[in-house]
Amino acid sequence: MGFLKIFLPLIFLLILSLTGGCAGDEAEENSGSSGVDGGTGVSGELVVYSSRNENFVEPLLQKFQDETGINVRALHAGGAALNRIKEEGHNVQADIFISNDIGGLEHLRLEGFLQGYNFPGIETIESRYRAEDNSWFALSARTRVLMFNKDLITEGEMPGTVWELTDPRWKDQFAITRGGNSGMIGHVSALINEWGEEKTTTWIAHIKGNAGAIMQGHGDIRRSVGAGEFKFGLVNNYYFHQQLREPQDNNVGVVYPDQGEGEMGAVINAAGVGFVKGAPHPENAKKFLEWILLPENQREFSYASLEVPINPSIEAVGEAARITDYSIQGMPLRELGDVWEDTRKFIEQSGLDLEIR
Amino acid sequence: MIAIQLDALAKIYPGTIEPAVNNISLEIEKGSIVTLLGPSGCGKTTILRLIAGFEKAERGTVSLDGKVVAGNGIWVPPEQRGVGMVFQDYALFPHLDVYKNVGFGYKGEDRRERIMQVLDLVGLQGLERRYPHELSGGQQQRVALARALARRPVVVLLDEPFSNLDADMRAQMRLEVKRIIKNAGATAVLVSHDQKDALAISDKIAVLEAGEIQQVGTPREIYQYPENSFVATFVGQTNLLKGKIGEDGCSVLTALGKIPYNYTHAYQPGEQVNISVRAESLEMSREGNIKGRVKEAMYTGEAIDVQVVVDLPGGESLDLVAHVHPEEEVREGDMVAFSVLPNFVKVVGDK
Amino acid sequence: MRRYDYHDGAANMQYNLKYKISPLYNRGTWSSIIKRLWGRLWGGNAPDPYLALLASAIGLLMAVPVLYVIWRSLFAGAERWTRLLDTRIPALMQNTLSITVATTLLSIVLGVSLAWLVYRCDLPGRHLWQWVLAIPLVIPPYVGAVAYIMLLGPTGWVRDLLGAAPVDIYSFGGVLFVLLMFKFPYVFLICGAALKRMNSSYEDTARSVGMGTWEMFWKVNFPFLRLAIGAGAILTSLCVLSEFGVIALMRYNTFTSAIYYQMESYDNISATVLSFPLIALTLLFLWLEFLSRKKQKFYQTTNNFRKTETIKLGRWKPLAFFWVGSVFLLSVLLPLSVLVYWSVFGLAGGALDSSFWGYALNSIKVAGLATLMSMLLALPVVYLKSRYPSLLSAVISKISSSGYALPGVIVALGIIFLFNQYIPWLYNTFFLVAVAYLVRFFPQTLQYGEASLNLISPRIDEAARSLGYPSRKVLFRVIIPLLRPGLLAGGALVFVSSLKELPATLLLRPPGFDTLAVRVWVEASEAVYHLAAPAALLIVLVSILPLKLMLSKY
Repeated sequence: MGFLKIFLPLIFLLILSLTGGCAGDEAEENSGSSGVDGGTGVSGELVVYSSRNENFVEPLLQKFQDETGINVRALHAGGAALNRIKEEGHNVQADIFISNDIGGLEHLRLEGFLQGYNFPGIETIESRYRAEDNSWFALSARTRVLMFNKDLITEGEMPGTVWELTDPRWKDQFAITRGGNSGMIGHVSALINEWGEEKTTTWIAHIKGNAGAIMQGHGDIRRSVGAGEFKFGLVNNYYFHQQLREPQDNNVGVVYPDQGEGEMGAVINAAGVGFVKGAPHPENAKKFLEWILLPENQREFSYASLEVPINPSIEAVGEAARITDYSIQGMPLRELGDVWEDTRKFIEQSGLDLEIR
Repeated sequence: MIAIQLDALAKIYPGTIEPAVNNISLEIEKGSIVTLLGPSGCGKTTILRLIAGFEKAERGTVSLDGKVVAGNGIWVPPEQRGVGMVFQDYALFPHLDVYKNVGFGYKGEDRRERIMQVLDLVGLQGLERRYPHELSGGQQQRVALARALARRPVVVLLDEPFSNLDADMRAQMRLEVKRIIKNAGATAVLVSHDQKDALAISDKIAVLEAGEIQQVGTPREIYQYPENSFVATFVGQTNLLKGKIGEDGCSVLTALGKIPYNYTHAYQPGEQVNISVRAESLEMSREGNIKGRVKEAMYTGEAIDVQVVVDLPGGESLDLVAHVHPEEEVREGDMVAFSVLPNFVKVVGDK
Repeated sequence: MRRYDYHDGAANMQYNLKYKISPLYNRGTWSSIIKRLWGRLWGGNAPDPYLALLASAIGLLMAVPVLYVIWRSLFAGAERWTRLLDTRIPALMQNTLSITVATTLLSIVLGVSLAWLVYRCDLPGRHLWQWVLAIPLVIPPYVGAVAYIMLLGPTGWVRDLLGAAPVDIYSFGGVLFVLLMFKFPYVFLICGAALKRMNSSYEDTARSVGMGTWEMFWKVNFPFLRLAIGAGAILTSLCVLSEFGVIALMRYNTFTSAIYYQMESYDNISATVLSFPLIALTLLFLWLEFLSRKKQKFYQTTNNFRKTETIKLGRWKPLAFFWVGSVFLLSVLLPLSVLVYWSVFGLAGGALDSSFWGYALNSIKVAGLATLMSMLLALPVVYLKSRYPSLLSAVISKISSSGYALPGVIVALGIIFLFNQYIPWLYNTFFLVAVAYLVRFFPQTLQYGEASLNLISPRIDEAARSLGYPSRKVLFRVIIPLLRPGLLAGGALVFVSSLKELPATLLLRPPGFDTLAVRVWVEASEAVYHLAAPAALLIVLVSILPLKLMLSKY
């Protein structure tokens, strides 16, 4: 019975691992349901999906777990996390969604995947940085800035507005991200809001031709600018702070564009948290949302990623300007979700969709 | 006692129009060795596979040991038919040694004894622990045969059993296989395209062409009295001649003159027929009335194959083949004379 | 013995050769109609219904991503379709097709030449080369891409040395080079295995008619290798179709990367629409492979097997050695050196803590589970396809290859779609991750299993049946033991592929479940290479064992 000799242990192993998996699942479910039944919200578990970098979020979640005794199970899945929430509509798994940009949160709200709730402490977040039903709110802002390599260009030589990027003299000297990047979509949304579609189309057409590279993400830009591959790049401000902390290639500076009199101001986007509709542990989710609004936790949330707290009463991280220190383009972030789809189509038609080069 | 009975079998492979075999009816007696003989593509292997149960017939029935196993809405799968099969490539299990190959599927209490008994029968004692790739072609064939015989099958089917063997081994294995099958008391059906295999080993031969049985008979009947021109030409060497049945009813009038024969038949004097005159029936003799010039002579050891051109009255000529006793001296260009022995002459129809 | 319906002499010739065959079954009843249709489907050679059912169920599971794509794209609407067709699909098609075809063709050149040198010629250290050249298979390609960007990129180490970047790594050639370096082992391994079991009689015949080594290679070895090349090429091309890491890092664009970017801007529906051309390309490649192997089926009997003789390279030896050595340097030594270099930094910085081993264990657990499932499930599919060729078995085996060509994220979403709604009790277990691996890498076991089974003559099955074993028992007693080396080899390939897999793992894992590949991603996506490297190195190390097993078995 040569077959049995080889395959029986394999099948045994298979069954073992399966039952192991199920048993573990059961245990988790039990503890989860006890949390809901108890209604106290201080036991059981909390399921968090996050599209932010794990290293930014994990310490905060650990802190929550330590302080409340609620067992946090987190899924860090990058941009795809949102897709998982959408796909799980029939059998909701997540309680909380931590998003790297507001467009995603508002998109989920508009599609009916989030639920509203009135949190104590919500008023510390300015209303233009949260959903109208408070189903999501932003905690940390990032600003679209021009980061430059000081070895190659001085601050004085740098363009002061994003419109100047259309100038042919910058040809092949800077890098941007592809149009499908959520940061870029947010930026273009704001530009349409400010300039209207026609001027924005012109802007896209020009920077598309001018950019030396169209990259997948901002991390690529900060590395290539830091290494001197390009003079400057259009990034979110925290990438600048990150690059400063690199052991090498860190001779970089930053320009907050459009700060002059009558200019539109810098475009911002934000990261925040949302309350998933049909969350299996709603009490724990509420607990978490209230907890994260505590000033020290708001601070923690933005510091981990070197972003700027939305709440102006909280001091900004080291080198960063406070959110009230510079002028900001006027579109309320919550409108981002509304125009998201149109902007995406707009970008696609203008040809910047996803080209990388 | 009938071991195998085939009744009006027909098989059409999907995607083809012509049946692979058609209207095959055959009875095989217990303990006999029967060969299905025919050129490649004649459907002989299909019949074997129909008996074994590897193919399903569109029509007709197969009965083994008096029980219908296929047809009439009955289907007995191959594993329940009690048929032993020896494949052309032997199909020995490469991962099992000789002992396990032979014992494969044998469930009786006397497993060990039976295996040793069969190995003894095929003369493979002492090789039980060898693996198929460590055996010669002849040994592999014996293993295949032993494996087929071990379960005391109702019938043993052998598909081109000798085709993978070289000439020496082939002649030896013919005798061996016949001995083994007879000693085992088995009923065997062989498939072969080689007339020598068929004539040497069989109790009966069924000659096939284009999916149909042409003739069934003992080797002697097939050879001496072919029933149609296909059988006559496929088995052995023969001369086909046109002619007319003579007034005496035991001769045929041909271009070569009157040819006697001694086989009773259903033809009337004066009827147009073909006759087959075996190469052996042309005997070289000075008194012979068929005269011709030797075109080619080939010495084979057992005989001299001679091609003779006979000039006919009226300017035409006729090519004949004859087997001449090897002691005779025949050279190309010689003028020779033949007479016809009636024993190997047969009327084979009017076509 | 007596013959029916047989008359002496002329009478027998008057038989009507082509009388009508009357139907075997009575018309009318449902069961007889089904029976007849079933029989017609299999061309008169119907398998055990349980076997057909089992294989169909497996095919259905493998079809989940395709069904998901079809279902979602139903909601796309004509407007979105035309927009994508007009603006995006033509350029993406050109990009995708060119990189896939180029990588596959060059993989064949590289893989066959290396296999021939290493398996057939007297190259020094050939036995070592045989498995060392398979190592690129276990290096995650995105790690390779990062390594090459660091070396040759516009700001890479070579620039620091020479003052200028020697080549533009962010070009078609650059992408092609990196893909080639990490995908060629598919062709290499499968062709190597075929050469190893090639019977010397073919080459002896060639020699006897006076062919030289070169001519013999083209006229004997190469045609003999066609099946193996086809199998290797199909694995390579489908794998390139679904590749994301290298494509994105090297700033290239294919359907797969387009689908990812579309997903990231929350447009699932366009993503599924973009999956359609990918499915079409998959079918195209599978069809081409099918054409190439038509009438190429042959069974090699083990009975008369004699090993081929080693070819003497003579004065070509230094050149051959240089060729093999260069490939080794570029595809193994360089990327691994970069990996080790960063790992040393990482280990010094304490990257190796207790949770690290937990990640490794998780990786092995899921990949192992996927491997087991792939070996067990490949069996009925391969058996059905090889022994009962029909439309159904062809569809099952084709559909089983689709998951391999589709992006991991689509596979993952398809699986979420199925399990979240319909099989919730398995949802959020790591079992789902294993299912995703299974769906993604099943063709690897299929190809190996099929190659093995195709060498086993169907006469072997029949011999076993005539000896009293019903077909199911034949499977267990004869086919599985004979298929085991092939299945183990395919399984080993699934294992190493699963260890490296990222996109589906990322999305499907239960919250809190981390694997080595996920750790590599978390750190590498923020360019913290010294923390990513130890995990990547561990992936390579864990893969070495199954890799050696595969090479010894097959």
